[in-house]
Amino acid sequence: MSSVFPTRTGTETDVRLPFSFIMFAVLAFAASQLLLLWAVPALSSGAFRLPLVWAAAHLGLLGFALMTAMGAMYQLVPVAFLTPIWSERLGFWQFAVTAVGIVAFAVSLAAAPKRAFLPGLLLLFGIVLFVWQMAMTLRQQETKTVMTLFVATSLLFLLLTGAAGALLAFHFFAATGANHHEAVFGLHVLFGLCGWFTLLIMGFSYKMAPMFSLAHSFSMRPARYVYALYISGIAAAFASLFLRSHAWLAAGAALLMSGFVVFASHIRAILQKRMKKTLDRPFRFSLAAVAIGLALHVAAFAAIVVGSGRWLGIIVYLFIVGWIVFSIIGYLFKIVPFLWWTHRYSEKVGQQHVPTLKQMMNERAVAVQCRLWLAALSLAAVALAVASVPLLAVAQTLLAGLSIAFAGTMLAVFRK
Amino acid sequence: MDVRELAMQQLKTVIDPELGINVVDLGLIYDLKIAGGQIDVLMTLTTPGCPLHDSIAGGVKRALEQIDGVRDVRVQVTWNPPWTPERMSEEALRQLGHFS
Repeated sequence: MSSVFPTRTGTETDVRLPFSFIMFAVLAFAASQLLLLWAVPALSSGAFRLPLVWAAAHLGLLGFALMTAMGAMYQLVPVAFLTPIWSERLGFWQFAVTAVGIVAFAVSLAAAPKRAFLPGLLLLFGIVLFVWQMAMTLRQQETKTVMTLFVATSLLFLLLTGAAGALLAFHFFAATGANHHEAVFGLHVLFGLCGWFTLLIMGFSYKMAPMFSLAHSFSMRPARYVYALYISGIAAAFASLFLRSHAWLAAGAALLMSGFVVFASHIRAILQKRMKKTLDRPFRFSLAAVAIGLALHVAAFAAIVVGSGRWLGIIVYLFIVGWIVFSIIGYLFKIVPFLWWTHRYSEKVGQQHVPTLKQMMNERAVAVQCRLWLAALSLAAVALAVASVPLLAVAQTLLAGLSIAFAGTMLAVFRK
Repeated sequence: MDVRELAMQQLKTVIDPELGINVVDLGLIYDLKIAGGQIDVLMTLTTPGCPLHDSIAGGVKRALEQIDGVRDVRVQVTWNPPWTPERMSEEALRQLGHFS
């Protein structure tokens, strides 16, 4: 007879829960990229606010990025915060509600934007369930850290982004709100991209970067400055929307840029303390996303100072793909093999030979894909800058092809 | 070969799947108490909140259970003292890209 005490943290999640979200996300990603192919002519002329672009953008941002973030949080929050998920049963219900809400919302945005309000409410309900789930989970954490602050604040912004989105959909539905529609739209983009996604990626990067590089003895003090600067930036930009003040907007962009500069320098300082000399390709890809995010924060500040709305639209598109989507892709290349490995091999460690996480994926294919993603984004940036339809079509075809290849790479993990 | 040597040999088969290095070379094993058919292991992980916590600690238990005559294996994970890179062997450092 043998016993284990207390080796189990008791915090691990049923892998089917994060897997449900992540598999939905991978398929939604391919669908969003294929949809964007149809919108190439409009995109290249700087017209982003069209039903088809809305549908593709929301399928990408909600179907892929949001669902991945939710799935990853169901896996990462328990291990990183040493706290079990409050209710896994609620998690499965939340997945169903959110998945149906996203599909219905994207379809109605493309086909009949005026009717997007009701599916939008269903989606908002899914978001509320998720935020409630995570709030109850984080509440149980014994010792709160700066990471908790980043993640908890990002959840608050997710809720506000969803509420602002529902209000926008209501404007179309009830043909009202013309006076403040632009401000609410700005708030929706600001809270979604900076408040939710960026703060969340920053927060988890503080766990992932030291873990994947085996960094040790680094200071976490700069994370407080990152948080303070970035939150102040969001607050100033938020104020500018309602004050209709260009000066406040420029101040907000400057603060957001400063926060991101400190964040990128902090990640660099952490990596300088690493024990693992050669970093994995997927993790290096996530680091490339940090560099892209940094460059785009600087570019956004410059575009706001010179007052270029067209450039700001292009920067937002590149920010979504280069910073948010690339960060998520990089981390998914690590998370999916880990989840499948845990499911398949965790109980066999110590009894028989098991593969390493690196061996769960075709490393060569991952390396090629990472290079092509960067090439496709560079091509898209040039195409948008010179407003070239053929060039953008090539870039978008490459992105669509890569999203399918990415889905294939993820699904191939299950054969290991 | 005595039980302690056998135990260390078995522990070298437990690999951290992220780093590809065994738990002994990583310096995760703090103490091994062997009395009769019982082994008590005091160990750590490279970071608190490691997603591989249960896989590695469970692997240590299963590996030691395979030794003839061992009836009971108890594994305790501690964060005090925390793991430091100085605990790694030269082999682990070499695998992490040092000395090249």
